[in-house]
Amino acid sequence: MTGTSSLAAPRSVAELADIVRDARAAVQRLRVVAGGTWSDAGTPASRIRADATPVSLRELRGVVAYVPGDLTLTVRAGTTLAELDAICAEHNQWCTLTPWGGNHGTVGATFATATNGPLARALGRPRDIALGLEFVDGLATTVRGGGRVVKNVAGFDLTRLLVGSFGALGVITEVTVRLRARPAVDRTWIVACEPGAAADIRRGAITPLAVEPLSAASAAALNAEVGALLVRFAGNAALVSAAERMLRALGSLTECEASAWSLVRETNAPVRSIEQDALALPLARRIKERFDPAAILNPGVLGESA
Amino acid sequence: MDSNTRILADRLANIVGPRHVKTGASELLVYENDGLPGYHKRPRLFVAPGNREEAIAVVQALAAANAPWVARGAGTGLSGGSLADGVVMIGMQRMRRILAIDPEARSATVEPGVVNVSLTKAATPFGLHYAPDPSSQAACTIGGNVAENAGGPHCLKYGVTLNHVLAATVVLPDGELLELRTPDADAVGFDLLGAFVGSEGCFGLAVDITVRLTPNPERICTMLADFTTVDGAADAVSTIIAAGIVPAALELVDAGTIAAVEASIYAAGYPTDAAACLLVEVDGPAAGLDDDVAEITRHCTAAGARSVKTATDAAARAKLWQGRKKAFGAMGRVAPTLAVQDAVVPRTRLAPVLREVARIAEKHGIRVCNVFHAGDGNLHPNIPYNGHDSAEAARVHAACDEIMAACIAEGGSITGEHGVGLDKLPYMEDLFTPDSLDAMCRLRDAWDPARRANPGKVVPVHRCREWMATPAARS
Repeated sequence: MTGTSSLAAPRSVAELADIVRDARAAVQRLRVVAGGTWSDAGTPASRIRADATPVSLRELRGVVAYVPGDLTLTVRAGTTLAELDAICAEHNQWCTLTPWGGNHGTVGATFATATNGPLARALGRPRDIALGLEFVDGLATTVRGGGRVVKNVAGFDLTRLLVGSFGALGVITEVTVRLRARPAVDRTWIVACEPGAAADIRRGAITPLAVEPLSAASAAALNAEVGALLVRFAGNAALVSAAERMLRALGSLTECEASAWSLVRETNAPVRSIEQDALALPLARRIKERFDPAAILNPGVLGESA
Repeated sequence: MDSNTRILADRLANIVGPRHVKTGASELLVYENDGLPGYHKRPRLFVAPGNREEAIAVVQALAAANAPWVARGAGTGLSGGSLADGVVMIGMQRMRRILAIDPEARSATVEPGVVNVSLTKAATPFGLHYAPDPSSQAACTIGGNVAENAGGPHCLKYGVTLNHVLAATVVLPDGELLELRTPDADAVGFDLLGAFVGSEGCFGLAVDITVRLTPNPERICTMLADFTTVDGAADAVSTIIAAGIVPAALELVDAGTIAAVEASIYAAGYPTDAAACLLVEVDGPAAGLDDDVAEITRHCTAAGARSVKTATDAAARAKLWQGRKKAFGAMGRVAPTLAVQDAVVPRTRLAPVLREVARIAEKHGIRVCNVFHAGDGNLHPNIPYNGHDSAEAARVHAACDEIMAACIAEGGSITGEHGVGLDKLPYMEDLFTPDSLDAMCRLRDAWDPARRANPGKVVPVHRCREWMATPAARS
């Protein structure tokens, strides 16, 4: 094969499958770039061979199905998180992925890299939020795992398998996510206290939505001390007032807009790494071999030298 | 018994002791069934390891003999997942030690045979509990729960088994040992633990399991709302969830279930003239809980509830729950056999699907008692019948086929928490494409290339194409 080929941007899942089929026949390596926002972030991305042809999912975007009353939404992988947020906000709902790094990335990349954010502990990680997904594997077959309902144990769990697999097993084309209704009250404070208080707040009688020590960059932007805590509580008014009283006992409070979280997410680099346990590596490789026998999808993610 | 089985039994007896290997027809009789009525499958032999080392050695001996096997917890499964048709059954009931409870980390490590409720009892002194609570929790095991990714009423707020398993030591069918753990802030690679949970015993045998323990709520409030129409109750479910309240549990019991419960020793005081009742529980910090109760009451009343009863003290709450948790037992008075069905529909489609289920029941002349996790859209249409009457059993079977088809047509699933096992196998092809089923087979084959663990379950065998490594061979 030649060096980096031009970017392919399929406009349908069938077109994507054709690209993978052709690539497999020619043993042409592919690099899934979704929106391309995070392509140079983290170890696995840098391991992916630079001579692989980039395949962009940016043309595969938009909502496939959304029934607000079900609090589930099926969206194409190239949709950005910002677009997803806007769609849900119309119905006073939200998708709680909110990963570190901000809202510029796509739904597909967030699940493929299993990127967490400040809400993960309270409201679930990507593996807890994905209800089902569709992907094109290295055999160019289009596969669906899971479903569109909030509870489902039919079949082996291809959804959990694909979330966090860094595009090495298949190109995610569509994801069904669990949504939440926006809480009645949602407040955020900067708490000037010992950083060690974070653990106490997390384990307190009222569970916070998020607790994060401020980095130098976010502290400067918020005009706060480095190491002060950004704390978020949500629920009904009585609950959040009780939480505020509890926080007051820990240190002085400065209330701020929820937008402070966007800032903190953007200034905290996402943690993305895939380091397969040595013991589980043979199994991971057997799975890779069965979903991408020609090793054309994001080669290098498992540390293999292609 | 053939000579190969004799030799295998002797080899296993050397590992676990002769008392813990059963080969006689009368000894195996008890292991022919699980919670799925109508099936009797005799295992080739039964072996019960007493600890982790024995369990590993048993799987390795079976690998050496190339002998297929099925693991069994308490045999409470409702989809036939632990039925062993002529293959070795590994019974996990002797491995029931709680190995460690770490109150600081809020976790526990257990052997797979630990009974679900025993873990909660052991965690109580620390103010903690194990949240997933299947109705069979007094008997079912954590290992079985992991195999089936079991749910329960309180999974609406707290999540299913998958969300509570932190790590597991797994022996693969070829004898390889793995430590799987949940990917945390820093990913640990493919989510192999996520794939293992709910794999219905087809990927390997867990020999120890680490689970999350959940702090006991400061306050709990249980409500009973009674409705004159099923539609009203179903509408209330959607409006409560849409309002952003996440109840700990939100269960619906219909008139058929109420009649069975109230005529039994489990009578819970459900109004017998109601078309349906909702059992709603909220829990958490005391602050704000009363406001949630008031809001839920408003939603129920607006949807047509005649009354909403509230219980806060433990005895009154236990009574309200008794009817729900013992409903299956109460249905035992109605008929000798009970088909406990399991399916999921989008929450907003509950009312039309329940009407369709009623229509199907009437058409086939059977009785359906609905008692289910309404907040999740997870239906349990239960059918009491006489399993010895083959004509009636055939009608029940036909009705189940139509109920599954109705749920699939609404965009739902054929199982929310009981698993596919044997019972749901025929519906897998209605739910998934051949390519998706083949992908599931490929995943299983990576864990168990010899297809030795729980053969013939979850994915119809004829949907598993032979896997071939070379591109030329497939094109």
